[in-house]
Amino acid sequence: MSTLKHKGKGPQSLTANELREGLNVWMTEDLTWSRDFKDAMTTEDPDVMERMKHRGDTDEADNLVVGVYFIDIEPETGLPARYREKFRAKGPSIDTADLVEGS
Amino acid sequence: MYRYDEFDAQIVAERVAQFRRQVERRLDGRLSEAEFRPLRLMNGLYLQLHAYMMRVAIPYGTLSSRQLRQLAMIADKYDKGYGHITTRQNIQYNWPELIDVPDLLNDLAEVEMHGFQTSGNCIRNVTSDPYAGATADEIEDPRPTAELLRQWSTLHPEFAFLPRKFKIAVTASPNDRAVIKAHDIGIEIVKNDDGDVGYHIIVGGGLGRTPIIGQTVRAFLPREELLPYLEAILRVYNRFGRRDNKYKARIKILVTETGIEEFTRMVDEEYAQLKPLDIAVSPEEVARITAYFADPDYETLDNEPKAYLSEIASNRDFALWVDSNIAAHKQAGYAIVNISLKPLDRAPGDITSAQMRKVADLADEYSFGEIRTTHQQNMILPHVKQSDLPVLFKELQKAGLAEDNIGMITDIICCPGMDFCALATARSIPVSQAIAERFSDPERERAIGEMQIKISGCINACGHHHVGHIGILGLEKAGVEFYQVKLGGDASENAAVGKVTGPGFSQEELVDGIERMVDFYLDQRGEGERFIDTYNRLGMEPFKEVLYVD
Ligand code: SF4
Repeated sequence: MSTLKHKGKGPQSLTANELREGLNVWMTEDLTWSRDFKDAMTTEDPDVMERMKHRGDTDEADNLVVGVYFIDIEPETGLPARYREKFRAKGPSIDTADLVEGS
Repeated sequence: MYRYDEFDAQIVAERVAQFRRQVERRLDGRLSEAEFRPLRLMNGLYLQLHAYMMRVAIPYGTLSSRQLRQLAMIADKYDKGYGHITTRQNIQYNWPELIDVPDLLNDLAEVEMHGFQTSGNCIRNVTSDPYAGATADEIEDPRPTAELLRQWSTLHPEFAFLPRKFKIAVTASPNDRAVIKAHDIGIEIVKNDDGDVGYHIIVGGGLGRTPIIGQTVRAFLPREELLPYLEAILRVYNRFGRRDNKYKARIKILVTETGIEEFTRMVDEEYAQLKPLDIAVSPEEVARITAYFADPDYETLDNEPKAYLSEIASNRDFALWVDSNIAAHKQAGYAIVNISLKPLDRAPGDITSAQMRKVADLADEYSFGEIRTTHQQNMILPHVKQSDLPVLFKELQKAGLAEDNIGMITDIICCPGMDFCALATARSIPVSQAIAERFSDPERERAIGEMQIKISGCINACGHHHVGHIGILGLEKAGVEFYQVKLGGDASENAAVGKVTGPGFSQEELVDGIERMVDFYLDQRGEGERFIDTYNRLGMEPFKEVLYVD
């Protein structure tokens, strides 16, 4: 969950994990959390980022999410810049769950 | 099989209740994440790339059918209907929710299982030879020793916060199936010239970012001295291990920096100060533990009964499966059955809940209810009558568990990599699938013979790539995965760390390059030579030439 390799410049989104369920979430425009990266708000506006951060910290303090951090977003694609974050957004490229009957 | 005594049962029950309270306190905020994280890790609960991950200990890879059925139930109830066998013989669930974990642990405790010592800087779950108790090539069953170590190391207060994690493996066979030389301590049960059984103690092996083959610290340790002597090693490590630098904190670095002679002297000095009898285990206690691992009630049978041989002669698929997946048993008329968890469409080591139940049923029917997990990420039915093999094979076929590739090029060890692991630098599962796909022609696979490809998704080397005949390490640069190749590693009793060939490859280039090396080997090999033998004879250069031909 290191933020170190994110440049923190250009478009940013805010991500975390749900505390109870553990799944990855991204902050949406109405400052709630979505498990779907497509819903993620992306911004370069420092004021908006400040509000996002405040909301993220509050939700972390309220034990809703853990490990809140900003990620760089590629302006061209709208996808996370870092390879690892792309995977967090996309989900596993293979999951045996998909082969389990009834799943 | 070992069954928990009342102490184990109590410890586990108390721990479950304790963790339930800890989760409650985390959810209502009385515990911060920083406070809670080490507590959940102590119970095997990680937060991975997409979700929590629960790692369950399978001591020395031995499971009962009852336990496996419970693991299947847990996969369905709390996860997505499957589990993943790890290179430390454990099982992982990729998708549990924190709120369910106390109940999950409770269900595990019902079958004497838990997640202790599957994380953190403690003595981890002890691993062993998956053929233990069944193979003719062992001096004795290594599991009583492994069980003794489990009891000694479980919640050992002095060794709960070591400089780094600590892994111990035990074997009793000269044919090392437990990679003992790549462990912090490797224990080989041996006989001395007088015919006494004791322990060859190897120390300071390990993979990770600094792969090192372990060295002998004591060539023959009398049986009763095992625990005091290990205690002395752990004390020296606990005191002098590099706590200042995480990457230098494993015992292998201490042994390397100190030198094995000096390290041995330090251990002996510490040992002299211990009153060995304090924690030495009495022969009676050893006998008590050993009794749990008594042979099952084998029937007196002839080896290779006619019906079995005629099935081999008439059913080619069966014959091929026998050839690759069956190992010799110590008892006439019995066989060790390897169940491959490496079909083409699956992540290596994954098994669905339905398959777990099937394996549990087959174990009850044909293998005295016993199952093993292997560090190769497969399963084993250890005691099957040869006469039952034809029908067992059919049952395994129906369950999609009859892949006949044990020890071959598509039986790849592969860590979860970037598809699941928070520490990964690249994916590993798709690479293993691409290689398996490329070599999926069974004739060709058999022509290639024994071959060990091992893949890790980062430098931590959970996929054992350092000791693969071909080892593959996934890395990333500027958002692009690439794969570094090592050649000449060996996970057997001739343990060796492979050498990096040079610059890395894209996945496609990698698979092509491996194919060229395999073709080169097929062309060059001498009589009876495996890939690793030809490599050792010719050296890296010619292999490198074909690998980098483009
Ligand atoms: S080798 Fe790296 S990527 Fe693979 S499981 Fe271990 S830590 Fe994760």
